[in-house]
Amino acid sequence: MSIFRPAAIMRNLFKKPMTLQFPYEALPPVEGYRGRHLLDLEKCTGCPVCSLACPNKAIELVKVGEEEKEGKKVEKKYPQIHLGKCCFCGLCEEYCPRDAIHMTQEAMISIMDKSQAIYSPDKLSQPVG
Amino acid sequence: MERTRDILAKDELEEREISFTTIPFGPQHPASGHFHASVKCVGEEVVELTPYPGYLHRGFERLMEYRNHAQNTMLCDRICVLDPFSNEMGYVNVVEKASGIEAPQRGKFIRTIMAELGRILSHITWIGIISMALGLDSGTRIAWGDREKIIRLNELATGGRIYPCYFIPGGVRRDFPEGFKEEILKVLDYIENQMKLYDNLVFYNTTFTMRLENVGILRAEDAVALGITGPNLRASGIATDVRKDEPYDAYPYVDFKVVFKGKGDAYSRALCRRGEIIESISIVRQLLEKIPEGDFRVKWGLTKKVPSGEAYFCCEAARGELCFHMVSDGTERPYRVKVRGPSFSHTLAGFPHLAKGVYIADIPAIYWSLDPCPADMDR
Repeated sequence: MSIFRPAAIMRNLFKKPMTLQFPYEALPPVEGYRGRHLLDLEKCTGCPVCSLACPNKAIELVKVGEEEKEGKKVEKKYPQIHLGKCCFCGLCEEYCPRDAIHMTQEAMISIMDKSQAIYSPDKLSQPVG
Repeated sequence: MERTRDILAKDELEEREISFTTIPFGPQHPASGHFHASVKCVGEEVVELTPYPGYLHRGFERLMEYRNHAQNTMLCDRICVLDPFSNEMGYVNVVEKASGIEAPQRGKFIRTIMAELGRILSHITWIGIISMALGLDSGTRIAWGDREKIIRLNELATGGRIYPCYFIPGGVRRDFPEGFKEEILKVLDYIENQMKLYDNLVFYNTTFTMRLENVGILRAEDAVALGITGPNLRASGIATDVRKDEPYDAYPYVDFKVVFKGKGDAYSRALCRRGEIIESISIVRQLLEKIPEGDFRVKWGLTKKVPSGEAYFCCEAARGELCFHMVSDGTERPYRVKVRGPSFSHTLAGFPHLAKGVYIADIPAIYWSLDPCPADMDR
């Protein structure tokens, strides 16, 4: 069988390429893509379920202040995520009892410095964009 | 053709002080993957091939002992990156078997559809890799471009491209999104159409057939003795398939042929995989017609305990039989998990056996005709 087929060559000349010119154009993210996390500070109660669900121990509860509960002073804790350890499986989102943590469609989270991979509660609660 | 192996035995070569040349194959060879083998040869012919595994050892079996069953499905993806769904399928089924729960029917259908799409994904990737190993570069580009279509389906259904993390004991983590059925059918039509191109470009191309025909012939009795499974065994004339012999999940509801060839050479193995892509497309279409409505999972808690005991489950991955043996001590974590991956015996037993007495140039062709996965081999 000959691989020289003039008709196919002509067809290919006018076909769109398979690839995209990446930094200038990109595929739109799909609904439900598991990207960077978004934390809802109002819903989060600081329970440790997300940190227990994380397979890579990327989530750590950090103290952000104190609050008063039933006349007692208790520590206020929120999750802090190390995105360098995170495998983006989405178990934290799935097992969160208050629906406070969500995976966004943000995939462009490359960094030049390791320390920027740690997302504090403040940074996590900032909307993507 | 007379080969060195036929003329002289290895000891005789040593006695006559014939000098050997030792050539390293991999791990930097473009056609080796993360795998190293030392090839001992006389002139152009290989006398002995010694594999050295371990470049991709990540200790999954040990890591699984530290994580609970929901978390372990994330690790199973990484056992074989090119075929993640089969690994998840094996693990969730073994946990379900040990804990005595059963996934709802819709969950089982979804799992089977995704596993079959994973098989197509893996085989299309293989077309790309073997084309690269044989110097047919356009085959590589086109196949890896088509792979993207199925990866996009993964992304739509699961939210992850390469690591779907989709199955969980008791079903799947999400239901199919709206309009997903049509998306799958569109991609299947596209791949079916592309198969004509692959036939011209790869499978019935003279360059391809001349490199693979009568190379690396694996006889049926040798294949059984060496523990070869899957398409490689079926290419040697033994029509065995776990999906047919012990149907699991939604396989009892579909009608499909077990693709097998008789000759056992590298070309038969290639044709077996080609046939499997076509069969898988037909399986997915049948399942999409029959998929029931209803629940897709039963709830699996993070700290759900599995009663003490052990379970064993075998499934058909893209590369062959994939088996999980799990021992539970009554906690939420497995006491021990043993994975029997298909590539282990293919690469460490099958490859050295086939490489004896062939030309050096045939080594990449034989290696990739077995479709090994170094990640699965080293685990």
